[in-house]
Amino acid sequence: MGAESNLADFHEQGSLIHRLCVLLVCLVWPLIWVGGLVTTYDAGMAVPDWPGTYGYNLFLYPYKTWLLGPFDLFIEHGHRLLGAVVGLVAICLVASAYFRERRRWVVVLTWGLLLAVISQGLLGGMRVVWSDRTLAMVHGCFGPAFFALCVAAAVVTGRRWNGYWARLGERPLSPGCVALVVAIPVLSYTQLVLGAQLRHVQPNAAPGGFAMIVATHVIVAFFLWFITMLAWLRIRRCGDLTLSRPAGLLIGLVGIQIALGVGTWVVNYGWPTILDWFPGSTGFLVRAKGFSDSIIVTSHVATGSLILAVSSMLLVRVLRSQHCLKSNVDRDVAEPTEYEYRNNTEQQVLEPATV
Amino acid sequence: MRNAVLIAVCFILGCDARIETFLPNRVFSLSLEKTRGASAERATEDARRVVQELYGTPDDPSWPLPDNNLADLQNLVRSSGPVSSEKDGTHLGLFREHCVVCHALEGSGLGAASVFQNPYPRDFRHGVFKWKSTERGKKPTRHDIRQILVNGIPGTAMPSFALVDPEDVDALVDYVIFLSTRGEVERRVIAAAIDELDYGETSPEDGWELDSRNEGEGGEVVHEVLERVHADWAETQDHEVPVPSFSDLTGKALAASIARGKEVFHGKVANCAGCHGPSGDGSLPTLDYDDWTKEYTTRIGLTPDDDEALKPFREAGALKPRRIMPRKLQGGVFHGGGDAASLFRRITQGIAGTPMPAVEVVSEPNGKGLTVEEIWDLVRYVQHLSTSR
Ligand code: HEC
Ligand code: HEC
Ligand code: HEM
Repeated sequence: MGAESNLADFHEQGSLIHRLCVLLVCLVWPLIWVGGLVTTYDAGMAVPDWPGTYGYNLFLYPYKTWLLGPFDLFIEHGHRLLGAVVGLVAICLVASAYFRERRRWVVVLTWGLLLAVISQGLLGGMRVVWSDRTLAMVHGCFGPAFFALCVAAAVVTGRRWNGYWARLGERPLSPGCVALVVAIPVLSYTQLVLGAQLRHVQPNAAPGGFAMIVATHVIVAFFLWFITMLAWLRIRRCGDLTLSRPAGLLIGLVGIQIALGVGTWVVNYGWPTILDWFPGSTGFLVRAKGFSDSIIVTSHVATGSLILAVSSMLLVRVLRSQHCLKSNVDRDVAEPTEYEYRNNTEQQVLEPATV
Repeated sequence: MRNAVLIAVCFILGCDARIETFLPNRVFSLSLEKTRGASAERATEDARRVVQELYGTPDDPSWPLPDNNLADLQNLVRSSGPVSSEKDGTHLGLFREHCVVCHALEGSGLGAASVFQNPYPRDFRHGVFKWKSTERGKKPTRHDIRQILVNGIPGTAMPSFALVDPEDVDALVDYVIFLSTRGEVERRVIAAAIDELDYGETSPEDGWELDSRNEGEGGEVVHEVLERVHADWAETQDHEVPVPSFSDLTGKALAASIARGKEVFHGKVANCAGCHGPSGDGSLPTLDYDDWTKEYTTRIGLTPDDDEALKPFREAGALKPRRIMPRKLQGGVFHGGGDAASLFRRITQGIAGTPMPAVEVVSEPNGKGLTVEEIWDLVRYVQHLSTSR
């Protein structure tokens, strides 16, 4: 009886924290978009009127008149405003976790999130003050990591954490499969770091180093795509939609990301020789600071973060389900652990046996 | 407090290094060593010092001959240095914002992203430009460079900067002239040091060292070079190629002109088909390189695909030689403009820095050149080709 009411308590307590985490996730992705736009586009926006150029970019012109006034303001202040809102939500999260979360490590995690927002804000500020490329790069790499952390926080505070995954009756995924799932966020993050190096290249960088980074970025991209396919093939039959769906989604996202990556190269540097068979490539004109171009580049940046986030979510879920399944198996064969395995009609939960 | 944090962060992460100096033109020195059979090391080092005294550094440019108005120092300052912007939205560090990934700080065309491009980004230091309105051997006009920046070069990586503030573009034109002049002076000073000041032997005698002040033998040599390069740029207006009047034809007259142009194209005098292929289909195999590449390959007796021989040059920064292809003119794209005047100039001057030769303009057909009318026929034919597949 006592344990049962505890359980109800637990879920109610958990849900506010969880909702705040989800809110964070929903705010941070747009923040990454806007941040990417600021970097890609800011320079072009610095002088909002460009007389005499209307003739050159006919099909872009209506976009510009349409978006210029509000859009300029939107990204100019939007990034900072949104950042501040994220900071506030993080504070609320820390507060609610402090009062209502029992798991100490989750409380620590929320503190970590708050700390991360603050340092990210500082980094961003200093980046502007110093206009330093190294800092810009760090700021750029840190954003997606923060995003992934928010997603992880949302997963661990979710209802399924102590419910759904504990109930799964299947056998655990093979260690090889888990390794694949670990590899995806690791490789995605590698991609982000490599990409940031391309984006914030130093003015005196040598062509050799840049070419190496580009080659690695492209090779790892295809390797990552391959890994996502392998992972999906092995997860798809595990009977758990919360795992197989994100695994399938990742294949699509990485495919899109590769296309966007090629697009990003083309709008920055024209068609590379290896792709000059592409129709229209011989007459292609690169347009510096074009609007649609900046959207392609920013989508590439934002999708990169999304891949990292989705793969981190998958990883945390897989680790959790593995953990629960293992404990179930252990409990069947070995001594009952300190956890009591409770059977509830709705869900099975791992609960401390003693209160 | 804030500064303390900044410094701490920078200390941990390592910040952008200040860029103290332009890199010396080592590929050119190596080529010189090869042709002169002498060491160019000392000359390169002294030239670097002298040129730095004259033109400053990537963060702090100066203009050695203030009385000529080729480049405005204010514009140079705005174009150089790290990227930043002021409160009123003025951009600083324009060259690093827009150009450096391809053209590199020195304007050497060895920027970070240059490797994958075809053609490679221009090396401004030769002072040779392809798409211009002046005679083949002359510098482009300011207007030419401005047009290139605004229109871009379709079919290459060179972007159009039409969306960049026109004042910024103007400043960048000055900066292109700055880098080009600076680079060419450097090249010529190194060569002169070896050829005229005995730098190649052991070391120059007293008073014969390169000097940025107009003093002594070394100083005179430097200033001769300086005056000459600046004069080349200053007088370029006088070398614009005049374009005779062109009449827009239609219907039968146009068709007849195109047919005549086709004859000329395939004829002995112009022999455009010899490079561009029959009907400009770009089908002929060619093995040729542009002048920028030839300087460290064929002109000094090296085979461009001899990796072993080229190794020192590649280590000094030279890009892998890339063949230049005569343009496929069918459905082709004009890099330097497809209007009649541009094509007239292209045909009568050729394309500087490339194998595309000039055709002599003659007043009577004489088997050596083409008359203006024949050239117009050819222009109409080429324009016609570009719209066909
Ligand atoms: C993405 C790479 C890229 C960027 C960025 C770039 N360029 Fe270029 N640029 C090129 C390439 C490639 C060429 C050579 C085109 C050719 O040979 O036809 C070129 C050629 C030129 C030329 C020579 C045109 C001629 O007539 O020979 C000038 C001048 C020039 N660029 C100036 C600039 C300036 C100034 C900027 C910055 C505002 C800039 N470029 C930015 C790639 C670039
Ligand atoms: C020796 C070989 C050669 C011959 C002969 C030659 N060309 Fe070319 N042509 C070239 C090369 C190489 C290019 C490419 C230059 C570049 O893009 O840097 C070129 C480019 C062109 C272009 C493109 C210009 C632009 O703006 O992009 C036109 C037009 C052209 N040639 C027309 C002609 C005509 C007309 C003739 C005959 C009078 C002719 N060529 C003869 C080698 C040649
Ligand atoms: C899984 C695949 C990929 C991921 C996750 C990824 C991720 C990223 C990210 C996050 C950035 C921006 C970094 C920042 O702004 O801080 C970036 C930049 C870049 N990426 Fe990718 N990328 C992938 C594939 C590709 C591919 C296949 C290409 C093809 C050429 C490519 C080309 C580029 C280029 C050119 C940039 C620099 C953009 C700029 O200069 O503005 N990427 N990448």
